[in-house]
Amino acid sequence: MKRRNNVFKLLLSGPYLIWMAIFVLVPMGMVLYFALTDPDTGRFTLDNLMGIEEFLPVFGESVWLAAVSALLCIVIAYPVAYVIAKAAPSRQRVLILLVMLPMCMSFLLRTLAWVALLEDTGILNRLLGSLGIGPLKLIRTRGAVILGMVYNYLPYMIMPLYSVLTKLDRRLIEAAEDLGCSGTQVFFKVILPLSAPGIISGTTMVFVPAVSTFYISKKLGSSGTALIGDLIESQFKQSYNPNLGAAMSLVLMVMIFICMGIMNRFAGQDEVSRI
Amino acid sequence: MEKELIRLADIAMQFDGEEVLRSINLTVRDKEFVTLLGPSGCGKTTTLRIIGGFETPTSGEVYFDGECITNLPPYKRKVNTIFQRYALFPHLNVFENVAFGLRIQKLPEEEIRSRVLEMLALVNLKGYERRSTDALSGGQQQRVAIARALVCRPRLLLLDEPLGALDLRLRKDMQAELKRIQQQLGITFVYVTHDQEEALAMSDTVVVMDKGRIQQIGTPEDIYNEPQNAFVADFIGESNIIDGIMHEDRLVEFCGRKFACLDGGFEKRENVDVVIRPEDIDIIPYQNGHIKGTVTSVTFKGVHYEFIIDVDGFKWMVQSTDYRELGSEVAFIIEPDAIHIMKKSEYSGMFGDYSTYSEAYDRDIREFDGEEPQEEKQYEAEE
Repeated sequence: MKRRNNVFKLLLSGPYLIWMAIFVLVPMGMVLYFALTDPDTGRFTLDNLMGIEEFLPVFGESVWLAAVSALLCIVIAYPVAYVIAKAAPSRQRVLILLVMLPMCMSFLLRTLAWVALLEDTGILNRLLGSLGIGPLKLIRTRGAVILGMVYNYLPYMIMPLYSVLTKLDRRLIEAAEDLGCSGTQVFFKVILPLSAPGIISGTTMVFVPAVSTFYISKKLGSSGTALIGDLIESQFKQSYNPNLGAAMSLVLMVMIFICMGIMNRFAGQDEVSRI
Repeated sequence: MEKELIRLADIAMQFDGEEVLRSINLTVRDKEFVTLLGPSGCGKTTTLRIIGGFETPTSGEVYFDGECITNLPPYKRKVNTIFQRYALFPHLNVFENVAFGLRIQKLPEEEIRSRVLEMLALVNLKGYERRSTDALSGGQQQRVAIARALVCRPRLLLLDEPLGALDLRLRKDMQAELKRIQQQLGITFVYVTHDQEEALAMSDTVVVMDKGRIQQIGTPEDIYNEPQNAFVADFIGESNIIDGIMHEDRLVEFCGRKFACLDGGFEKRENVDVVIRPEDIDIIPYQNGHIKGTVTSVTFKGVHYEFIIDVDGFKWMVQSTDYRELGSEVAFIIEPDAIHIMKKSEYSGMFGDYSTYSEAYDRDIREFDGEEPQEEKQYEAEE
């Protein structure tokens, strides 16, 4: 009986396991191979990894911008998720739909729309100009890149927070009130700690794509604010050095794992979702 | 007699225009153990939540120690609550759960520590301080909830079906333990339950509720021996309830016969409900009986047999330690002190005939099975 059960499980999970093996494990092995071999001779070398040193400021900049974006997402998404979770069930569905709606449009299109808004001769500057202000330098700044990240990844923060907050047992809030908590104390002593898993998984879902993004920084950032994603892309497309690109990807991946490890430790919770 | 601690004055409550409570007047004295007893949706939990401050009544006032607290939020009340299914904080361990209220009061760490440990000892949970709450059994979680509420030294403890989720054995133990804690600490308890046995065993005063109204307030003995209407008589224990006519004080007619009884104070020839408890009926040899009938059902209950006896179409429940065969003709007598006379009420004719015995039994199962569907609905309505 148990044996049959196992066979059944394997059959069900089989297609996905094969998919994962072909499209995740094999490419990762290839990244590892390219990262550790010489472009000309194909011999094992650490030169590619050593060569990354000069790009370290770019790594720092990427992590910094992604972290700021994730933080801003928490600050913006938390109240939104809280309000949605408190709304009547029928209204909740509509509000969630509104949150998800931008995601139905292409990511590229949405980013291009911001370009149109923020350009020196863009809609915003023209509007400001008619009021006698500006033109302001909006696009090609760090701020614009952060704006693009926050805008694009915000739903990924709202959803896990919303799902944690709707599952919050109302009796726990009453219990806290009963034990002497005022409204703000209830929030900081009970609601916020209990939504930690949502904050962690939301942060992961925002931080990871944000740190490796290239399109947003390319369109909204300046050449001076190239991010690690842009750098990796250019290794494959422009300067054609896949080995260096692979090494960069590898380092980025390790950095992401370290960041996630720190975050999970920080939360001290078991049920934190992992990517 | 201790002085009054809590007084509910003419409380009414509506959710979305639906009447949940009507003219609730109740006084709870200091150190008293009061139980609100009633079936699902009778308003007992709502009454408790009004005392706790989680609901504001549509009209009426709540007084605590002579002071009106109707609009005071829960955190400002010197009242603590033990919630249905405990509501322990999952992100805190046992010690921190119990310490929660004291930390809010910003007491010195040393005092918090000693008070929490003292309280954990009181509920027999010494050595569990570092455990996570979801690693505990239902009974242990219950004890943490008790400790968490009591460590704040409330004047009044509210308990909302605290033993509802426990199995029978554990329940009996916890009943005794709660009673012991209540007496040891001298705290006033207001206890909500739908379990009549629990109510009778633990309380100083029982408040029987139905349809959002108080049906009777009294000691457990009063409630059992002198029920005020057919609902109370039926809800508390088993009862045969028969239509009768009061001829004069201490003389009542039912089943075509006149019986001596101990009650008086009714109009001449007033229609009344007559209550006779199944255990007060004596089955005797057929020819000597006051009332004669046929056994239509026999159930062995351990201590006694439970018979359903058909007397001219009205089915009586009789409990006796002597066995009678199914289908046999039996007779019984009713002594004057076994008869209790009640005024007619809206409940007359609804209870006390065991013709529909199996249905009545089903209903009991439903009611005593823990969940409170209707009151759950009220929570949602309120949100």
